[in-house]
Amino acid sequence: MILSDHYIADEPYYRPVGDEITLFEAAYAMRLPVMLKGPTGCGKTRFIEHMAWKLNKPIVTVACHEDMTASDLVGRFLLDANGTIWHDGPLCLAVRHGAICYLDEIVEARQDTTVVIHPLTDERRILPLEKKGELVRAHAGFHLVISYNPGYQSILKDLKESTKQRFCAIEFGYPEAEVEAEIVAHEAGIGPDAAALLVTIGERSRNLRGHGLAEGASTRMLIHAGQLLKHGIQLEAACRIALILPITDDTDLRGALCAAVAACV
Amino acid sequence: MHALRNTRLPEDGAAPAANPAHGGIGRWEVSSFARFGGGDRFDTLERQLAYFGTALWGLAPLLRVAAADPDGGQRRTSFSGPTILAPATFRGYSGAQGRHLYLAALAHVQAHLHHGGRRFPAGSLKPMQIALISLIEDARVEHLAMRGLPGLGHYWQPYHVAEPTASPTAASLMARLARALIAPDHADPDGWIAKARRLFFEAEPEWHDPANSRRIGGLLGNDLGQMRLQFDGLRHVVEPVYRDDNKGLWHFERTGDEAADDDALPLPARLEPDDGKPPQSGSPPDDADKVRLTPIDPEAGIPIARYPEWDHLIGAARLDWTTLVEYQPALGDAGPLALLLHRHHALLERMVGVIQPARISRSTRLRRQPDGEEFDLDAALTATIDQRTGLTPDPRIYTRFERRMRDLSVLLLLDGSRSTNDRSPVSGQRVLDLEIEAAALLARALERSGDLFAIRAFCSNKRDDVRYYRIKDFAEPHGALAEQRLAGLAGEYSTRIGAALRHAGAELALRQSYRKLLLVITDGEPSDIDIADRKYLVEDARHAAHALARDGIDVFCIGLDGEGENYLHRMFGARRVLHVDRIEKLPECAAALYVRLTT
Ligand SMILES: Nc1ncnc2c1ncn2[C@@H]1O[C@H](COP(=O)(O)OP(=O)(O)OP(=O)(O)O)[C@@H](O)[C@H]1O
Ligand SMILES: [Mg+2]
Repeated sequence: MILSDHYIADEPYYRPVGDEITLFEAAYAMRLPVMLKGPTGCGKTRFIEHMAWKLNKPIVTVACHEDMTASDLVGRFLLDANGTIWHDGPLCLAVRHGAICYLDEIVEARQDTTVVIHPLTDERRILPLEKKGELVRAHAGFHLVISYNPGYQSILKDLKESTKQRFCAIEFGYPEAEVEAEIVAHEAGIGPDAAALLVTIGERSRNLRGHGLAEGASTRMLIHAGQLLKHGIQLEAACRIALILPITDDTDLRGALCAAVAACV
Repeated sequence: MHALRNTRLPEDGAAPAANPAHGGIGRWEVSSFARFGGGDRFDTLERQLAYFGTALWGLAPLLRVAAADPDGGQRRTSFSGPTILAPATFRGYSGAQGRHLYLAALAHVQAHLHHGGRRFPAGSLKPMQIALISLIEDARVEHLAMRGLPGLGHYWQPYHVAEPTASPTAASLMARLARALIAPDHADPDGWIAKARRLFFEAEPEWHDPANSRRIGGLLGNDLGQMRLQFDGLRHVVEPVYRDDNKGLWHFERTGDEAADDDALPLPARLEPDDGKPPQSGSPPDDADKVRLTPIDPEAGIPIARYPEWDHLIGAARLDWTTLVEYQPALGDAGPLALLLHRHHALLERMVGVIQPARISRSTRLRRQPDGEEFDLDAALTATIDQRTGLTPDPRIYTRFERRMRDLSVLLLLDGSRSTNDRSPVSGQRVLDLEIEAAALLARALERSGDLFAIRAFCSNKRDDVRYYRIKDFAEPHGALAEQRLAGLAGEYSTRIGAALRHAGAELALRQSYRKLLLVITDGEPSDIDIADRKYLVEDARHAAHALARDGIDVFCIGLDGEGENYLHRMFGARRVLHVDRIEKLPECAAALYVRLTT
C-alpha cells in the first residue's frame, strides 16, 4: 500500500486535557476540517498522532514554511530520462489515498499557497492539479487538519478570513499544573515532585509572556529540562540551558528568570 | 542599634543551597547570579526587577525610585497602593549583594500586595503596637508567599541574623522575633518570643486573614509594654533591611493617607541630581544658541518651498498658496523620555518583533533553484540535454519568486500644533506626550529593525508660515540628539496638514527605496486661523494624501484621539487610520500597519 509507512504502529502517549478527543472524533466522522490552535509545544502534534493511531489512519505531515509553494503541497513535474514526469506532493497523496493530512504551522505558508486547500475544504472535496490538468476527487477517508499558533507574531501572517472559516477549531493551551506535571513526569521519566517543580518554574516564565517574552516555556521545554535532570544534570543548569537561554538573549530577562527559578525551589 | 545592617551574604550574592526537601533533584546553586549582573543600583536593576516581579506574580510591579531621605537616614522600600518605591541604592550593599537585596525587598513588598488586605486603621494604637502588628503581618505574608514559592525563603532568611543580647531593647527583641517567625528552626531562649511563635504558628490555618496579625501583634505589644522597654517610634527602622517601612500597611486618619492610596505617584526623585549626575536639561538650549552661526534671530525660519492648496468650493487648486518654512527644532530634556522608553522595554521588543520580520521589497525571480513553482526553461533544457548525452544533469532546474531583502523608507510626520496640549479624555495624558512617546518608541523600533527613517514635525501660523521641523534625518543615526529634539516639541499654533503632507511626500519621493511610508501622527481635526470653513483643510489634506498615493507613497495616519476620527477617515481613508489612545496599543497598531503594508 502506498501510504503504509504513514500508519502509526504504537500508541503515542497522550494525556487528554478536556473533551478534545470526543470533539475530534465527531469532526472526523463528518470529515469537517479541523484547526488545532495553541502555543508552541503544548501537545498539538502529539494529539494528532494519537488520533491517527486511534482511528487507524495514515497521516501525512507537512511542516509549512514561508518559502513553501503550492507545488510543494500539490506536486510538480520532474525530469526523467524520457522527459517530464508528474510527482504527487504530500497533500495530493493524502487526498488520493485517504489519509489525514496535517499541515503544521499553516500561517507560515504564504496566502497564495494556502488557498490550494480551499476546494478541498468545502463540499466539493476536490484538488485541481492545474499544471497537470487533472481534478483529483478526495478519497472518502481524506481528512484535513491544520495547526495554528495564535501568538501575536502571527498578526503579520494571518490566515485569510476565507481560509479560517472553513475549519472547526480545537483550542489547546498549557494544561493545569497537576496535569502538566503528570505529562512532564511521564515524558521525562522523573518523579512527581520534580515534575511539579518544573511546572511551577514554567509558570514563572509564562507570567512574562507579553512582558518581554513572546512565549513562556512550553510543555516541551519543561520536558527537556526534566530529561536533563533525569540524566543527572543539576536543576540550576538544567533550567538555564533548557528553559532560559533558549527563549531570550536579554540579560535582564535572563537574570530575572534565574532569580525567579531560585524562588521556586 | 542597627548592627543588623551588614548581613552576611555569600560574596557572589548567591542564595543558600536549596531546600533539602527537594534534595533528590539537584541543589540550586545560584552561580548564575554573578553571571547575570545588573549592578547594585536601582536604575541599573529596574528592568530586571520588573521582570522578576512579573515572573513571580504574573503582574508587572509599578516600580519607582524613592526621593532621597534628607537626613541621610536608613533607607527602606515603601509602598503605597500598587506603587512600590525603592531607594536609589542600599548603602553598604554593593555588587551581587545589592542585587540580591533588591530582589528580596521587591519579593517582600509583592508578598504584601498579593496577600495583604486593606490598610489597618491606626486609630489610637501606640507606635510599638503598630510596629509589632506590622512585624507579624510581614511574617504572615511571607509565609503565604513561601507556600507557592518556597525558594523565597532563601531570599529573605540570610538577612535575619539577630542574636540574643545581654540587655535586650525593644528594637533588638523585634529583630529577633522577626527571625524566629521566619526561620522556625532557629532557637531563641526568650519567653516572649516563644509565646509569639506559638501564637503565630497556632494561627496557621487562619493565615489568610490579616486580622490575625492585628490580634497577635496587639497582644504582643501589650506584653512588651509591660516589660517597660524603651521604644522610639519616630526613629524606629524596620529590620531586616529588605523589609519595607510599613507605611503602606496603615491608614493614619490625620494625614488622609488613603486618599493618595491608588494614585500612582508622579515621577519622582529619579530626575533630581541626587545621584551625582548633572541634570541633562538646562544646558543644551544654551549650547544650541552658541553653535548657531548666523547672527539672525534664531527664532526665525527659512522659507523652503511653496505648495498648492485644494479649494473644495471652487474644485481647483490654488497655486503656490502655502509657504513651508523650516525652523530649528528646540532641544528639550530627553531624560524623562529615556526613562519612559526604558520602562516600555517590553513594548519595544514587541514592536521590533512585528516590524523586523516584515518583508517589504520587490519580489525577484530566482533562477536555477533546486525547488520552485515552475521549470527554469533554460536550466531544464540543459539538464535534459545533459541527461540524453549521458552527463549528470544539474538538478537545479526550477525558478521561483521571492521577496528577499527589505527596502523601505519611513517618514514620521508629527503634529506639533497647540491642540496636542489637550489631555486625552481616556487616559488624562497630554496628547503631545503620548505623541512624543509613540514617536520615540517607533523610532527605536525602526532603528533596531534597520529601516531608513526620518522624523519631521509641523504646525502652522496661517498659509505663509507652515512650520516644519527636522527632528531626525534619514542619514542621521537615531540617538540622543533626535530624542532631545523630540522632547523639545512644544505644541503651538495650528494644523495646516495638507502643506506638511506635500512637503513630507516630496522628501520621500527623493528616496530610492522600493516602498515609501509616510506615517502621520496627529490628534485629529486640521485647522488654521485664516480658515473658517471646517471642511476646507480636511478636503485639502485628502487631496494631498491621494496625490501621494498616486505617486507610490503609502500614507498612514495614527490618530491619538478618538474624537478626530471622522476627519481622519475622510483625509486618509478608514483603512489607513489606526487608533492609539494608550502607548500600550502601539505594537498592535504597528502590526496592523505592517500587515496592510505587506498584503
Ligand atoms: N496532553 C499531552 N499528552 C502527552 N504529551 C504531551 C501533551 N501535551 C504536551 N505533551 C508533550 O509535549 C511535547 C510537545 O508537544 P507537541 O510536539 O505536540 O507540541 P505542538 O503543540 O505540536 O508544538 P508546535 O506548535 O511547536 O509544533 C510532546 O512531545 C509531548 O511530549
Ligand atoms: Mg513589610
